[in-house]
Amino acid sequence: MILPTVICSTHVSRRIAAEVGAVTFAHQHGCAIIGDDVAGIDNFFVSLADHPNVSSVLAVGLGCETIQSQELSAKLLGRNKSTQYRIIQESGGVEGTVAAGVKAARELSEAFPSAPAAVAKLRIGLDLGREVDSAATLEQLLKDEGCEVVVARSESSSAETFSKLSQENVHIIISFPSDSQPASGFPLIPVINVAGTGVLHQAIRGDFDIDESALLSGIVQLLTDVATGTETVAEKSKSGEIRAPRVVRSA
Amino acid sequence: MTNPTRKVLILGERDNIAVCLADLSVGDFIEQDELKIKVLNLIPRGHKIATKAIAKDEGIIKYGERMGHAIAPISIGEHVHVHNILGDRLSAEQV
Amino acid sequence: MSAPLKAYKRANGAWGLRNQVLILPLHSALSSTARAIADNSDGAVAISHDWSGEKDNDLARIIFTLSGYASNPNIFATIFLSIGNPEEEQIIKGAQALGLTRFSNLLLPEIGSMEKLQQQALTIANGYVKEASAEVRVDAPWSAIVLGLECGGSDALSGITANPALGVASDRLVELGASSVLGETTEILGAEHLLAARAIDPAVGKKIVEMVARYEDSINYEGIDIRGAQPSRGNIEGGLSTLEEKSLGAAKKAGNAPFTGTLEFGEIPKVAGLYFMDTPGHDIEQLAGFGAGHINVVVFTSGRGTPTGSAIMPTIKVSTNTPMYESIPDLIDLDAGTIADGIETLAEVGDRIFDEIVHVANGQLTKAERGGHHEFALSRMYNTVVR
Repeated sequence: MILPTVICSTHVSRRIAAEVGAVTFAHQHGCAIIGDDVAGIDNFFVSLADHPNVSSVLAVGLGCETIQSQELSAKLLGRNKSTQYRIIQESGGVEGTVAAGVKAARELSEAFPSAPAAVAKLRIGLDLGREVDSAATLEQLLKDEGCEVVVARSESSSAETFSKLSQENVHIIISFPSDSQPASGFPLIPVINVAGTGVLHQAIRGDFDIDESALLSGIVQLLTDVATGTETVAEKSKSGEIRAPRVVRSA
Repeated sequence: MTNPTRKVLILGERDNIAVCLADLSVGDFIEQDELKIKVLNLIPRGHKIATKAIAKDEGIIKYGERMGHAIAPISIGEHVHVHNILGDRLSAEQV
Repeated sequence: MSAPLKAYKRANGAWGLRNQVLILPLHSALSSTARAIADNSDGAVAISHDWSGEKDNDLARIIFTLSGYASNPNIFATIFLSIGNPEEEQIIKGAQALGLTRFSNLLLPEIGSMEKLQQQALTIANGYVKEASAEVRVDAPWSAIVLGLECGGSDALSGITANPALGVASDRLVELGASSVLGETTEILGAEHLLAARAIDPAVGKKIVEMVARYEDSINYEGIDIRGAQPSRGNIEGGLSTLEEKSLGAAKKAGNAPFTGTLEFGEIPKVAGLYFMDTPGHDIEQLAGFGAGHINVVVFTSGRGTPTGSAIMPTIKVSTNTPMYESIPDLIDLDAGTIADGIETLAEVGDRIFDEIVHVANGQLTKAERGGHHEFALSRMYNTVVR
């Protein structure tokens, strides 16, 4: 994962990620944050880097921001040896940082190749944006299959719920967006979008992975496929925006 | 406005600090116009040096305007920065 | 003497210094699609954001920002990507009311999938780009320039070199009949009395002071010490010790001209002059406010260096010190560090910035434009209480 520690480094991060085939995402945080948001955003970045779906982390900072990449990296190194950072203001600007970042990302993937391993227990996140009659049955079904299940109810859209579920270290999310919300994804976690019967969902059925009516009969096979590498529809469209938790206006 | 031989820049007549135009070292001597200052700390370019003795709680004046206050007595020639001054607004005294 | 300017004249009389085709997603789930459309197009631009159409505290602010942004005179046409929520209709109507005449609204549920949406939008975008490139610039008056004044990653030289030099350029433009807008409320806190004293009438001065006070009150209400953010870690390393010190330097971007008025976040100036707009210090949120306020060119001074650019406003970077200018050559357009080294005077650098603004207004690309930097961030209040 190429982790931009501030909005100002998202463009450079995207260029590095495109070059090496890594995952990255845009966000608008990391600077001019105050009060509880400083620890909140710092913890959020740590939890993303610490996520079980992430093998290596390259933090990319600008240099003058509130959240400092070298301090964040020091924290991450305690948890994951496969961590490096690069700073735009110290690496000769955009082109210099892209070159340095590509080199660092390649070093990371060579030094720490990710090898497939058996997962003892899959953690599944359920994002309930609408009333789902079969939710309890689904939860039991997943538990019977040996999964851990984390349930989150979204207030309005899935964006914040995905962030919360990522902090719970779920491997895969099953999302039930409300009837007025489209299917959506999250950069680090495969999201299986379940279509409701509403007008919007049926009109854009192709953006969903499965209909709610077919869920109980089809979910185990679908989960097995996704867990072993089949991309979900949202993954294919490379949905890249994340919504980080915030409480105070910017300074 | 300035010339390269100048080591510091005073921005207002009533200022009690000057801005360093070069990195200054302990023991450097600034002799510029009426100013005669012995540098007491290592002070990076752009940072501030006291041109007058400043008492605790006294205002720090730059561009002729108050930019905060001293949280410790400051001697002429001392580095003036976050370790010995604090803004008047939206800043809390660290305990 | 006529102004040496050529620009794009819009139907409502506003002037564009660019002729962009903007892809504007109205839902965060469409942000990556918007970017993909722009990347694959013949020159359209896109912004992305994290708003999913939800009705929270910030809804009015978001609708206002996106309406203003979509109708900035630097835009030839806007392509909205929608999912069919009523708020989207409000944004599009708002943009029309502010002067947007050429646009398309692509509704995901009508089109059926993200993939098809992307294909359709790409065809429309390329059509607009072709039309836009056929449009010619015509003679424009000085009032065509609406300049945004911005600083970020400031150091102790900002208030001595780049900011007052930008002030020289801003004063010259305002004198000639252009508009200039200072933003970043946080970064005039401590200098507001100096700006208020330059207001054209007491009511404008009072409003400048009030805008700072309501910001300060909202932060005090939260009981927050804002050091670390203001001044930032980089500011402190660069020699700035307090917020007031940073503000006294930041305010110098607005030169010495009288203040004609104040603007709320994203509000459009109605008559030419120098304004203060209530925006956050966060560079990218503040640029979104400038874009919504129909500013068409920005000068951004920096002591530490930043890649920041905008999809719709050319952004000219000026360094406050020469070592930084030399260390990150692909980010900075002009160096004002020469003032500190006694090589150039404030007036000389001010004139260079003025000339650069004129060249860029006439079409010369900035480094941020050449690098394709299109950062965007919505400004939100979140749970902050503002009375």
